[in-house]
Amino acid sequence: MTKTTIPIHLDINGQHHELQLEPRVTLLDALRDRLAPTGTKKGCDHGQCGACTVHVDGERVLACLTLAAQAQGRAITTIEGLAREGELHPVQAAFLEQDAFQCGYCTSGQIMSAVACIREGHAGSDDEIREYMAGNLCRCGAYPHIVAAVRQAALEVAS
Amino acid sequence: MTVHTRHGDASDGVTAEAVGGRLSRVDGPAKITGAAKYAVEQQLEGLAYAVLLESTIASGKVRAIDTTAAEAAPGVLKVLTPDTIISLRTASDWFGTPPPDKPYCPLAHDITFSGQHVAAVVAETFEQAVAAAALVKVSYDETPAIVDLSDGKAGDGIPIDAMTKEWGDAQAAFASAPVRVCAAYNTPREYQAPMEPHGLIARWEGDQLTVWEPSQWLDGMARTYAEWFGVSFENVRLVSPYIGGGFGSKALALSHGAVAACAAKMLGRPVRLVMTRQQTFTGYGGRAATRQTVALGADRDGRIQSIVHRGVNETSMDGMWVEPLGSVTSIMYATPNFSSKQNVVRVNSVVPGAMRAPGENPSAFGIESAIDELAYEVGIDPLEIRLRNYAEQDPHAKKAWSTRQLREAFAAGAERFGWARRAPEPRSMRDGNQLIGWGVAAGTYPVRRAYGEAIVRILSDGSVEVESSSIDMGQGTYTILAQTAAETVGVPADTVVVKLGDSRFPRAGVTGGSRLAGVMTGAVYKAATSALDQLIGLAISDPRSPFHALQANTLVVANGRIASPRGDGPDLSIAELLASIGRDHIEATGDTMPANSTAQDRYKNYTTIAMSLPHTEGDYSRYSWCAHFIEVRVDEDFGTVRVSRVVSALDSGRLYNPKLAESQWKGGIIMGIGQALLEEGIVDRRHGRIVNNNLADYLVPTNADIPDIEVISVGIPDLHSSVLGGKGVGELAIVGVAPAIANAVFHATGKRVRDLPITLEKLI
Repeated sequence: MTKTTIPIHLDINGQHHELQLEPRVTLLDALRDRLAPTGTKKGCDHGQCGACTVHVDGERVLACLTLAAQAQGRAITTIEGLAREGELHPVQAAFLEQDAFQCGYCTSGQIMSAVACIREGHAGSDDEIREYMAGNLCRCGAYPHIVAAVRQAALEVAS
Repeated sequence: MTVHTRHGDASDGVTAEAVGGRLSRVDGPAKITGAAKYAVEQQLEGLAYAVLLESTIASGKVRAIDTTAAEAAPGVLKVLTPDTIISLRTASDWFGTPPPDKPYCPLAHDITFSGQHVAAVVAETFEQAVAAAALVKVSYDETPAIVDLSDGKAGDGIPIDAMTKEWGDAQAAFASAPVRVCAAYNTPREYQAPMEPHGLIARWEGDQLTVWEPSQWLDGMARTYAEWFGVSFENVRLVSPYIGGGFGSKALALSHGAVAACAAKMLGRPVRLVMTRQQTFTGYGGRAATRQTVALGADRDGRIQSIVHRGVNETSMDGMWVEPLGSVTSIMYATPNFSSKQNVVRVNSVVPGAMRAPGENPSAFGIESAIDELAYEVGIDPLEIRLRNYAEQDPHAKKAWSTRQLREAFAAGAERFGWARRAPEPRSMRDGNQLIGWGVAAGTYPVRRAYGEAIVRILSDGSVEVESSSIDMGQGTYTILAQTAAETVGVPADTVVVKLGDSRFPRAGVTGGSRLAGVMTGAVYKAATSALDQLIGLAISDPRSPFHALQANTLVVANGRIASPRGDGPDLSIAELLASIGRDHIEATGDTMPANSTAQDRYKNYTTIAMSLPHTEGDYSRYSWCAHFIEVRVDEDFGTVRVSRVVSALDSGRLYNPKLAESQWKGGIIMGIGQALLEEGIVDRRHGRIVNNNLADYLVPTNADIPDIEVISVGIPDLHSSVLGGKGVGELAIVGVAPAIANAVFHATGKRVRDLPITLEKLI
């Protein structure tokens, strides 16, 4: 049988992982099924819902539309890598305080998008937050609280 | 009850941790750090991956399934077809009706809808299963399908006599009424679309089946799996620690679950099967498409003389779903004459299912649009006409309301919204090229009640543990049960650990119909009271207890410490007391079942819905109520509608945690905005497919679609509805949103849209 897997090195939350994967494995499935930090969620597998949002080299990326091989040699940050030494990221803390989620399934993606949204300088007003967070669906309908959380966290990050 | 004085954002004089306080979600830290493991995220040794194939025709037969290429593909373990999958027994329905004695096959030969599961491929990896599934060739003998309600072959359907409600002589009173309005209102297929797709991991160990599956009803689903496989109920364990949204869609074990459990049994390995997002649009039923006509006869002052209502909803060829369309019509307004009847029509669709406020939601779209039309017809303010027809008692059951703060909701909402500043004429308010419209509508949802049980343990370190097989899909069960146990026992909420989502725990009925909070706070309150009584009893009576010499009648527990109410004698932590009397823990089971209940009664209560208490039982009629005030802005040239302001006042009785209840209310309102403006399953007329079966084409609201939303609680404790005084929260708020928006659109544009969703082509 022909060899169907290739070695793939992934740098996830500062940890180096060596995997032997088929080239068609997405970053999302590599994370969830092979490496098992399952905080990154699969909602649609088609780049339509945003639940799988992670950071690659600091930019938000949909892990379901990214092959694991494409992320080789780049710094991947997932929801598990946001807190530093047990200290919640300001966005995480604001999500809890503002009750910016219910079922929690879109939350990892929302938080990863929110961190990037603030970093990109797109949290200047509520309308701007709504626009730049519009790629992350939340069927529980936590949107007004997500806006409040991003607004609060943006002020904290700035100060 | 004990009142704590710990930190927290106090509300209504209640600390955050007590029942009624604004405690943040106790499951929140796990969800914001990614630590919360959802059902299909369990890592199991030897896990195999299954992928489903669904029919591409809506009616006919599978002629042949060629699995040769798929079976030869790398990593493939098994290809399941109707001919090769093991045979199951038919399970009872959710009422517990004994099933017909015939085999059940979760993969179909005879096709009754597009998207029906016809085969499954199991492989070593997910990618291998997906690739091999593409190699399976299914051929069909196709027959003509009835694609939806508007299909010429659909017919008038089957009358559902149980839905008929009549009093007075509605037809005659309508015919002779001085003012008459009559119109047809339609709602399309809508989908729950929870962010977490349906799926499961099934594992057999001998004749023991463990299923990790997102579930709104562990005990009901365990019953179904047990009946399918002919094993005892105790042999099936359902595990569902977190649920990524349900909205009605995750209450029943469905055929994909049977396929996964069959595959696991046939392979002797645990199997994971997760539906694709596309498959979730046909793997279970969304809200049925509905048609209603509402005829209102009134006097010239707008007082209703008669309501004649006719409704139709679609169901599948081989299943029965009734969406009760006369539910709100028959109770919202006082009328001396009333008639409501309903038919269901069979179409080639998956059997529709429960979606947030099934029945009440489309029902309210009919009656709350119709009364708005009547308001314009007689020239009365839409809010005033609702007050003029206010039902002082349940017009159908002829019973007093347990509580009905709807008048208060209208008043509070109107005040906050500024309704008095509304210009009455349509097209009379504008901002540049945007037409502005203000609409109002009411909503309601019955208080569904059942029984529950729970265990409360006071552990040696003074912490408290609660166990229940109920679930938290975001409503806040973990949090309010922690608050209930904390307040009842007298310990800080952060020392309470609530364990849910395992069918081995004390049982709970379905999490649906907004009943769980009322049921489970009652059960936990009883169990916690019993545990506290035991603790105090031991402290007084055990010779080793430092309180023994005090000869007190009772003791108080507050903030995790136990002392005499007089302040004399010792003051110990619970841990110190338990150590002194040599107890490892104290445990109490509590349930709200009638005292003489048999084991059979209990099984029936927890695994079927047959024992739910009618909301009109006894002397009272029990409902939650709400009033929505909504502003829309309609672009005059393009017909695009934006919701720009929402103020809703809601009566859910006592709120166990206002912070979380407000979130659920807003979520319901947002789903209602989607229903009003975006959501519609579009049927391909040739093959009966849902063509927009994905999240890019079936539009749900995004953050950019939603303005700030203000919710106001006007409820008061309702002890006829639940042990602690709450009524339903989760379903209420969506009811009435769509008609409020349709009414606002009419006010903005002068165009009445009676066919959801209100898309731009209907306005230009």
